[in-house]
Amino acid sequence: MPTSSMQKRKTRNDNQRRLFLFARGCGILLLACIAPAQIYLPRPAPEPSEYGKVILDTYSGAEPGAVVFDHWLHRSKFTCRVCHVDIGFAMQAKATGINAKSNGEGFHCGACHDGKRMFEGKTIFAACSAVANNQCNRCHSLGKNGVRKYEYKEFTARFPKGIYGVNWEAAEKSRAIKPVDFVEGLSVKIAQMQRRADFSVDAAFPWVEPINFSHEKHSIWNGCELCHPEIFPTAQKGTIRFSMFSNIDGRGCGACHGKVAFPLNNCSGCHSRAPLWVP
Amino acid sequence: MVPTAMVFKAKLWTQLATIFKRTIRKGTPFKQTVVAAVLFMGLAAWCCERAVHEVSALAGQADTARQSSQESSESWRTEFDNICAKTEDAMTFSQEELTDLIRRCDSLQPQIEKLDESRKKVYLERLRKCRGLYAYVLDAKKKDKK
Repeated sequence: MPTSSMQKRKTRNDNQRRLFLFARGCGILLLACIAPAQIYLPRPAPEPSEYGKVILDTYSGAEPGAVVFDHWLHRSKFTCRVCHVDIGFAMQAKATGINAKSNGEGFHCGACHDGKRMFEGKTIFAACSAVANNQCNRCHSLGKNGVRKYEYKEFTARFPKGIYGVNWEAAEKSRAIKPVDFVEGLSVKIAQMQRRADFSVDAAFPWVEPINFSHEKHSIWNGCELCHPEIFPTAQKGTIRFSMFSNIDGRGCGACHGKVAFPLNNCSGCHSRAPLWVP
Repeated sequence: MVPTAMVFKAKLWTQLATIFKRTIRKGTPFKQTVVAAVLFMGLAAWCCERAVHEVSALAGQADTARQSSQESSESWRTEFDNICAKTEDAMTFSQEELTDLIRRCDSLQPQIEKLDESRKKVYLERLRKCRGLYAYVLDAKKKDKK
């Protein structure tokens, strides 16, 4: 029967069309899911030598040019607390308001870089000094070759390495670095810190390993007031939900991890039942 | 009794004045010029001496002001150090102690706000961190009690 054959062909075509539409819908849905995920996936970390590099270009264009700050160099010498609590460097870019005036008056960079303070047997050069000391390019070095004194590769050559660059915890343990926690005239003499117990934080999804949070190490390096209440505003477990999205956005752990501390791509750094901080 | 030195000084000045007067009235033009120059230089030296004295007196006043300002700055700094030295022990404090620390932070803030720009920027930020921590711990303790 020709009519029946035509009907069958029509039904088959309809089915094919529906299948095609369904596949197309699935494809669009998949793309819609992938697109935001792409946005929120941790970006690949730059080279360890570039990681944590801060460019201070508030007065861009003006002489002597933008400042390049190597976080790795300073973190090898001082705890986070000294700079971010005692000296008052903000955790966000351009939030501190550093300028030559405040440096010259002995604040911010000038708190240590005053041309008088000694460190490891050497006088620390003066930053933004009124007296010409030919040291401007040591910091104001963006786009200038061969003006910086320390290079990452040579400086960190003897430090233990982790998955990503230097393993700072191991470096401290092995005494390759001895971060200073007190700077005379700047730091407040604090009492011996009470031992902070490490704790575990359950991940949002059952298939993800819980986070073993090294509270003790973090509090020794940072002090309490660097994280609480600004970064972690509540002590009550479960009150605020942290996610990888918020971390990537620079909130929670992402305030440091992903910027200066080991990057977020290093999943096992936090999500592991194994002891942390072991190289 | 008038001291001998003063009498001697007065006699010397009188004699010098007599010599000058006589020279100006009866001396040759050269001598008159020399006397005028000496008088002028003396006057200039006296003015300079007075000026130096005034400047040093002003400098002394400024030093005193600086010293007193330093003293007051030291007083806020001592209080600041006392408050912020306790952050590591915040968890061990009672609610009353924490409330008192927060109150001290609040009363210190206006003093820091009076400081120069750089100092104000740095210490206000540090004080904000200390206060924030105490408020955070107090809040946590209150919630724990509930």
